[in-house]
Amino acid sequence: MTTGDIALEERQGINFLRLWYVLIAIMIAIGLWGAYNVLRYGLVVTNLSDQVPWGLWITHDLSAIGLGAGAFAFSAIAYLFRFTQFKEISRAAVYIGFIGYTSAMIALAMDIGRPDRFYYPLIYWNVHSVLWEITWCVVLYSTILFFEFLPILLEHSFFDRWPGIRRIGHSVHSLTPVFAVLGLGLSLLHQSSLGATYGVLSGREIWYKPTLPVMFIISAVAAGTALTLFLTILAGKFMDQELISDDLKMRVARFSGYTMLLYLYLKLWDYAATTYYSHSPGTADAMLRLQLTTPYSRTFWVFEVLLGALIPAIIFLYPPLRRNDRMLIIGLGLAVVGLVVNRWNVTLSGLVVPPVWTPGVLGNILVYTYLPSLVETAVTIGIIGYGFLMFTLGVRHLPLYPKSEGEEEEAH
Amino acid sequence: MTKHDDAEKQESQESQPLLSRRDVLRIAGATGAAVIVTQLIAAGPLSADAITGISRETEASSDYSWGMGIDLEKCIGCKYCIWACQATNDVSRDSMRWNVGFPEQTANGVDFFMTRPCLQCQEAPCVKVCPVGATWVREDGIVAMDYDRCIGCRYCEVACPYDVRRFNWEKVEEENPYVPTWGIPEVERRERGVMEKCTFCVQRIDRSYEADLTPGVDPQVTPACVNICPVNARIFGNLKDLESPLSVWLRENNTIRLREDFGTEPKVYYKEPAAQEA
Repeated sequence: MTTGDIALEERQGINFLRLWYVLIAIMIAIGLWGAYNVLRYGLVVTNLSDQVPWGLWITHDLSAIGLGAGAFAFSAIAYLFRFTQFKEISRAAVYIGFIGYTSAMIALAMDIGRPDRFYYPLIYWNVHSVLWEITWCVVLYSTILFFEFLPILLEHSFFDRWPGIRRIGHSVHSLTPVFAVLGLGLSLLHQSSLGATYGVLSGREIWYKPTLPVMFIISAVAAGTALTLFLTILAGKFMDQELISDDLKMRVARFSGYTMLLYLYLKLWDYAATTYYSHSPGTADAMLRLQLTTPYSRTFWVFEVLLGALIPAIIFLYPPLRRNDRMLIIGLGLAVVGLVVNRWNVTLSGLVVPPVWTPGVLGNILVYTYLPSLVETAVTIGIIGYGFLMFTLGVRHLPLYPKSEGEEEEAH
Repeated sequence: MTKHDDAEKQESQESQPLLSRRDVLRIAGATGAAVIVTQLIAAGPLSADAITGISRETEASSDYSWGMGIDLEKCIGCKYCIWACQATNDVSRDSMRWNVGFPEQTANGVDFFMTRPCLQCQEAPCVKVCPVGATWVREDGIVAMDYDRCIGCRYCEVACPYDVRRFNWEKVEEENPYVPTWGIPEVERRERGVMEKCTFCVQRIDRSYEADLTPGVDPQVTPACVNICPVNARIFGNLKDLESPLSVWLRENNTIRLREDFGTEPKVYYKEPAAQEA
C-alpha cells in the first residue's frame, strides 16, 4: 500500500482503489460479452449498414491513436529537440500511447469482418491504399512503443532475479533517441494518413480536401499531449504525489495550447474555404442535409471548436487560468473530448449524407442514421476498461515518472 | 597492368589494407540486401503482380473493356433484371441486391425507373483504397473481388460513391426465393465477413475467352440482367470494339455517366428518360 493509497482511504473513508478495480472488472466483463456476440453472430449485431459501414469503433480507433500522439510528440521534444526536462513525462506518454494503440488494435479486430485475416495487409500489398500504409505504420510504431516501454517494464522488481534481462532492458533503453526518430517519422505518416483515409475520397465531397490529414495530425498532437498531462495530474492527485514538476506542467500546457491555436487556425480556414467563401455544390448540399437532420452544426461549433479547442487554448495560454489546477484539468479534459467528438463528426458526416448519384430528383434528400448498438457500446466500454486497467497498473507498479515511487520500490 | 599502377597499388596497400574487414562485411551486407530486395521485387510482395493483382488474371486482356448501356427511356420498371441478378449470383436477400432499382422522377416531373449495377469504374475508388488488394480493375475493365483475400474492413464501401458494395454482415443461410424462377446460381454464396458486388457476371465473361463467343451478342456469355430485359433496355459490349452492340448504341444515342465529376470513369452509360411522358 503506498502512502498515496493510505492517504486516499483516510480522506474518503472507503477503499476507493478497490471500487475502481471492481468498476474496471465490470467494464471488461461487459466488453467480453460484446466481443462474444460479435464473434459468434457476426457484425449483424452492430447498427452498421452498407450505407453507414463505419461508426463507433472507427471513432474509437481514430481517437485512441490520435490521443496516443503524446508518445511521439514528447519523445521527439525530449530526445530530438533536446528539451530534456520533457523526459520527465515522456515515459508516461509512451506508456499511454502504447495503451492507445493496443486498444485501437483490439477495436479493429472486432470491426473487421474476418479477424482471422488481420495480418493480410502485411502480406498482400496495395501501396495505393492509405489504409495499407496506416496498417504498416501502426504495426511498426506499436513495435517501437513496445520497445520503448520494455525497459520501463523490466525495471519492475519482478525482474530483479534476472540481471541479464535487466541489462538487455538498459541497452534497449540506450536506443531511445533512435526510437524517437523512427517514432516521429512513422507518426508523421500515419497520424495524418488517418485523416487522409477520408481526405482522399474524391467521391465524398464533404471529406475530399487536403486539410483533413493536416488537421488530424495537429489535433492529435494537441489533444494527445493534453491527455498525457490530464492523466498525469489526475494520477498524482489520487496518489497524493507531485508526479512531475509544476514548471513542466505549465510548459506542457503551453505547448498543447499553441498547437491548439494552430489547429483552430487551420480549422477556421478550412471552414472559410470550403463553406463560407465558396459554393461547391456537393459540399453545400451535404452540409444542408446535415444541418436539417442532424445535430452536426451544433456539435461542430460547440464541442469541436468552442469547448474542444478554443476554451482549452485559452486556459492553457492564459497564466492565471493555467496555474489553477482545477481549470487546467477541465481544459485538458475538454481537449480530449473535443478530439473524440471531432473524429465522430468527421466519420459520420461523410456517411450519413451520401453523394447523390441518380439523374432524377426524387431521392435527393437522402439521409441515413446511425447510433451504436448495445453490443458495439459494450465492446467499446470493455476496451476503455482495458485502458483504465493498464494505466492504473502502470501508475501503481511501474516507474512511469521519475518522481513516483512504485509500490515495489518502496517495499525495499 | 603498368608498373606505375602496380606501384600505386603497393603504396595504398602499405598505408591501409585494400579491403578492411569492415569493408568486406559492408559489401557482403549490401549484396545480401540487394539480393533480398531483387527477390522481393521479382517474385515477392513487392512485385508488380503482387501489388496490382494482375497475376490472378489469365485470359482477360486489354483488347477488351466491358461496358453497359442502360436506356432509361425504354425501361418499363419490371424489375426482371434485379431478380435475374439475384438468382444468377445467388443474392438471396433484397437488402443485398447488387443490381438495385427504384422509382425516380425527372426534374420536369416525368416518372422513370432507375436501375444501377456496379458501374465498373476505370478509376475505381474502391480499388484504390483496399489495403490488401482484394479488389482490382482487371485488364478487361471489370472490377473484380477476391473473397479469399478480403478482410472485411469495409473501406471500399466507404469509398464507393455509388452505394454499390454489399457486406456479409452475417452468414446468409436462407433459401434464395428467386431460384429457379429467375435463374440458377452460377457462383458460390459468399462467406460471412467479406464484401461482395456486381461483377458483370464475370463467370460468363471468362467463359467467352475460352469458347468463341461474344459477350453482348451471345446470351451464354452476357450478364443475366442484360439477357432477361424484355424491352432490351440494357446493352452490353466491348467498348474497344467499335462494332460491338454497345459501341453502336453509344454512337446513335446521347448518353450520360453518373457523377462524372467524381473522376471515377464509370463504364456504364445511361440514356436519359424522355422529356415528356409518352
